[in-house]
Amino acid sequence: MIIFVFDNTFEGLLTAVYEAYYTNARPDRIVTEVYHQPNLVDAVKFIETDEVKSNKVYDAIVKKVSKEALRHVYHAFLSETVDAPTIIYRYLTIAFKMGQQVDHLLTNKHILEIHKISKKVTREKHRMLGLVRFQLIKEDLYYASIEPDHHIVGLLAPHFAKRMADQNWIIHDKKRDTAAIFDKSQWFIAPLQYKNEITNNNEEALYQELWKTYFKNIAIKERKNSKLQRSFMPTRYWKHLTEKS
Amino acid sequence: MEIKDKLKILADAAKYDVSCSSSGSSRKNKADGIGNAAISGICHSWSDDGRCISLLKILLTNYCIYNCAYCINRASNDLPRAAFTPNEVAELTINFYRRNYIEGLFLSSAIMINPDHTMEQLLNTVKILRTEHNFNGYIHVKAIPGADSRLIHETGLYVDRMSVNIELPSNGGLKLLAPQKKKEEIIKPMSLITKQHQQSKEERRAFKSSPAFAPAGQSTQLIVGATQDHDFQILKLSEGLYNRFQLKRVYYSAYVPVGVHPNLPVLANPPTLREHRLYQADWLLRFYGFSADELLNERQPNFDVQLDPKCDWALNNFSLFPIEINKAEYHMLLRVPGIGVQSARRIIAARRLAPISYDGLKKIGVVLKRAKYFITCQGKYYSEVGLKDHLIRESLTVKPILSPSNQNEKQLSFFDVYKLKESIITGEL
Repeated sequence: MIIFVFDNTFEGLLTAVYEAYYTNARPDRIVTEVYHQPNLVDAVKFIETDEVKSNKVYDAIVKKVSKEALRHVYHAFLSETVDAPTIIYRYLTIAFKMGQQVDHLLTNKHILEIHKISKKVTREKHRMLGLVRFQLIKEDLYYASIEPDHHIVGLLAPHFAKRMADQNWIIHDKKRDTAAIFDKSQWFIAPLQYKNEITNNNEEALYQELWKTYFKNIAIKERKNSKLQRSFMPTRYWKHLTEKS
Repeated sequence: MEIKDKLKILADAAKYDVSCSSSGSSRKNKADGIGNAAISGICHSWSDDGRCISLLKILLTNYCIYNCAYCINRASNDLPRAAFTPNEVAELTINFYRRNYIEGLFLSSAIMINPDHTMEQLLNTVKILRTEHNFNGYIHVKAIPGADSRLIHETGLYVDRMSVNIELPSNGGLKLLAPQKKKEEIIKPMSLITKQHQQSKEERRAFKSSPAFAPAGQSTQLIVGATQDHDFQILKLSEGLYNRFQLKRVYYSAYVPVGVHPNLPVLANPPTLREHRLYQADWLLRFYGFSADELLNERQPNFDVQLDPKCDWALNNFSLFPIEINKAEYHMLLRVPGIGVQSARRIIAARRLAPISYDGLKKIGVVLKRAKYFITCQGKYYSEVGLKDHLIRESLTVKPILSPSNQNEKQLSFFDVYKLKESIITGEL
């Protein structure tokens, strides 16, 4: 089997796709170096990320296929699953042949696969827009910690930059040690390691208490339905929810 | 009284209002402001009853001059009362919003002193939020029946959605349970809101800067099971509301017994399954092109709780089926049980490129468990019971699950069996 290994960046992935098109040896799989496990049988090619090549592929997706296809590709990449790069590659080979109609090919296995993972990421992003919980940790600094399944912190940031435009905030992905940071004018992604427990000041403690009170009293006891609650709000997210921790 | 106690009382008092949506508005944040609205709406949490929490849903006060039998806040009910000031509500909303607990505010109120006074208080609250706090998140406010139309109009200019709750679906029910209220008084603010909403929409088409009046439209709520009204009456009413008042949503609320009254039914549990059937039918009205008369009639005024309304309709009109997936028109695809709006659209898109096979249907997301009885795929019919509607009805009917209330049955224990054997051995039978 021919395997392409890239450096776990989006540009790296697009370079791998470029190389796959312009070398004779087509890859059977594309994996990130994170998941790559060397063995004796496979022929491995390490891809060196090249901005020119990746930009060419990027532009080709937008021009020859569609913006929607680019979104699918990017979201699938953010899913950080083992098979995502291979699925993206297979999708793009069909997409470059079919053009913008590719997303209508709904009975094709490879198209369905990418739609499935890209949808998972989109869903988690939307769910997280509601489930992020900020705490006022210092004067005029709001902090939120999350541990999402997929690498979505960069998808969340634009939403909060528009919405919480008059406050400084940090959304910290503890799983990946990355954070989106906003300083009232623009946001950026930066590595962040912060393991300390946060102690709340009086004002913060009051509002957390009020929110818990509200959460408890808004439920109708006669209609209690924990299963439904968990299906909308899976327990793995509860650790970072004020009302559930 | 401390703010926490007030919140406890007034959240508890507001919980029977089921409306939770924060969708339909695309209000943008302003310079130096906080908040915006998401057109799709965002849920922020789910309470223990599984219902979503999107907005801070509270009453301004639960002191009420009315004594409606179905309502927990009726004047004669002995329960703790409280009242927020408009400033307290605004502070609470902003601070919850900054922590991303909520998408905005849903403010309702019991009627304190008189309708005008109450409406004025509501107006004050939203005014403070929008002008003093520069808040641009979602606001949903109740219009108080009987309040001055100028107050209602002014409130509409600050909020995203307004609603008036009808609660009881018929005049008879109103007389029985809420004799102080009149149907006309409820309908009046509703038609006012509809008119203003449409007028502002037209004006904004010509002048983009003219003020928006409740851009996310209007909704209402009906209580199910507090009166003798049939599903047919309720659904007819909803249909009328959608067509005549262009309502965005009608919510149905299974009646939760909140008091004892000679005119109220005695229920063990809220009729949630009936509520669910009504919601299904409501969706059929709004997105599937059905009319209330197709689903129910005088002879069958209530839904079969064991079969969903669409299956029921399809089996009653079985002569229209089966239809061919690769040829049927969109509106007909929508009428097949197991095919929703999304899968119907996908079928249309996919069959433009290649004919769809039975296996392909599954990949598209059609629920074949129900759909297979009503379709052919490339000319072939796949159901195992044939084209017999009574057999199909049987296989589609929800089998009643053994209720845990059946106390007489119990699981055999190993030791019981052992005892039994022992008695056989010792001959003590």
